[in-house]
Amino acid sequence: MDLGQFVSYIASGTVYTVGVTLISLPAGLLIGIILALLYVYGGKTAARVLNLYSTIFRGIPPVVLLFILFFAVSKGINLSAFWAGSLSLGVVSSAYQMEIVRGALLSVSGDQMMAARAVGLSRLQAIRYVVIPQAIRLAIPPWSNEAAIIIKDSSLVYALGVPEILRRAQLIGASSQKYLPAYISAAIIYFLLVFITTHLLTLLEKKLAIPSNP
Amino acid sequence: MRKHFLLVVALVLVAAMLVGCTSESSSLLNKIQENKKVIVGTSADYPPYEYLDEAGGITGFDVELMAEIANRMGVELEWVDMPFDSLVAAVSSGKLDMSISCFNYDEERDKTVDFSEAYYTTEDAFVVGSAFTGTITVPEDIANYKVGVQSGTVQDGWLTDNLVTPGLLPEANLSRYERVDQAALDLANGRIDVLMADYVPVQALVAQNPDLQVVFHAELSTGPINIVLPDGDTELKAEIDRIIKELQADGFIDQLAVKYFSE
Repeated sequence: MDLGQFVSYIASGTVYTVGVTLISLPAGLLIGIILALLYVYGGKTAARVLNLYSTIFRGIPPVVLLFILFFAVSKGINLSAFWAGSLSLGVVSSAYQMEIVRGALLSVSGDQMMAARAVGLSRLQAIRYVVIPQAIRLAIPPWSNEAAIIIKDSSLVYALGVPEILRRAQLIGASSQKYLPAYISAAIIYFLLVFITTHLLTLLEKKLAIPSNP
Repeated sequence: MRKHFLLVVALVLVAAMLVGCTSESSSLLNKIQENKKVIVGTSADYPPYEYLDEAGGITGFDVELMAEIANRMGVELEWVDMPFDSLVAAVSSGKLDMSISCFNYDEERDKTVDFSEAYYTTEDAFVVGSAFTGTITVPEDIANYKVGVQSGTVQDGWLTDNLVTPGLLPEANLSRYERVDQAALDLANGRIDVLMADYVPVQALVAQNPDLQVVFHAELSTGPINIVLPDGDTELKAEIDRIIKELQADGFIDQLAVKYFSE
């Protein structure tokens, strides 16, 4: 096996890494935004329940949740390794993303809400047209951090045998006895994925920046 | 009180789930035969038992053996690659029908899964050339000679752990070869005194080379290896055991051993 085949075998695991990320990150974002809005504007009971949600899912390592979903719950719902991985990462990430969005929502000054109401916007309109557009911009830097974490955490699905980058590096390392090149190839591929993603998000952040408010 | 009540309800639910899990009694064998497919897990990072071939497919001693078992069951074989640590859990939770991955019998594992009859027992052998005049009565005796071994094998591990690390065999007197046949060549030429290798391929080696002979063989670095099966499924175990015995009787397993362990 020449070097090209060697690297391309490991790199073909990128499909799974990107797949898991593309499911868990947007799912976590959607749930995170909804929950954050409920947390901030939904009253005390909602805030208490969601605080518990956040505490629990930020307190469980994704790989534990992965094993629970795949091995323990498997009698009832037969999830594939890929979906068990994507779901558990998505759930854990939703708790983090809720906190990111919540922080962004809270950092838009309360005076703006008052001012919006004073010019005749309803509460929902004020949230929709005044608070959220500013909060989203504030959320991008911490969110790109979360995206990088999810890309790297997607390697956890290797524990269930999804042939993603890390598992492929292990397999080809064992059969060729070239462990170091195998793991270095994997590291470079992960690095490039994270680098490209965070770079794109920085561009987005610049593009969306409000000119008068750098 | 209310909190306790909820706790009790939760525990009862968990217990009910566990009971539900264990009370499934119909044999997996029926399911395998109905679906005409058996789902087998392995951790394809352990050559020569299971590893990737040049084309990136799974191959090895266990892999070919399992293919023949599936063939004799008249069912298709679906491989699932998984890290070794996850295999037992995957069999006991029903994600896999069985697993073959060079498993030695283990009491802890036996609590959650069953083991087939051993399909292979690896023994280690010491081979010497015709000029050899020493004696080897216990394995540790080879520490007095120049020893050769294939690097990275279980034998290499045994020599390193039991003779080199305790200081019995000087590192300089242990030659590690890429292949067993290279070591045999050096043995015939007198560069090493004793070669340690798997007994099965060694027998083929000795048969080809009349200058060499086996002076000692025993289970040192290895032991019996078995297929991991779901817990308590006696029908499935009986069928697998029957096929394993058949494969041993007609020499299939010995041929595989020569093919995979004699390099």
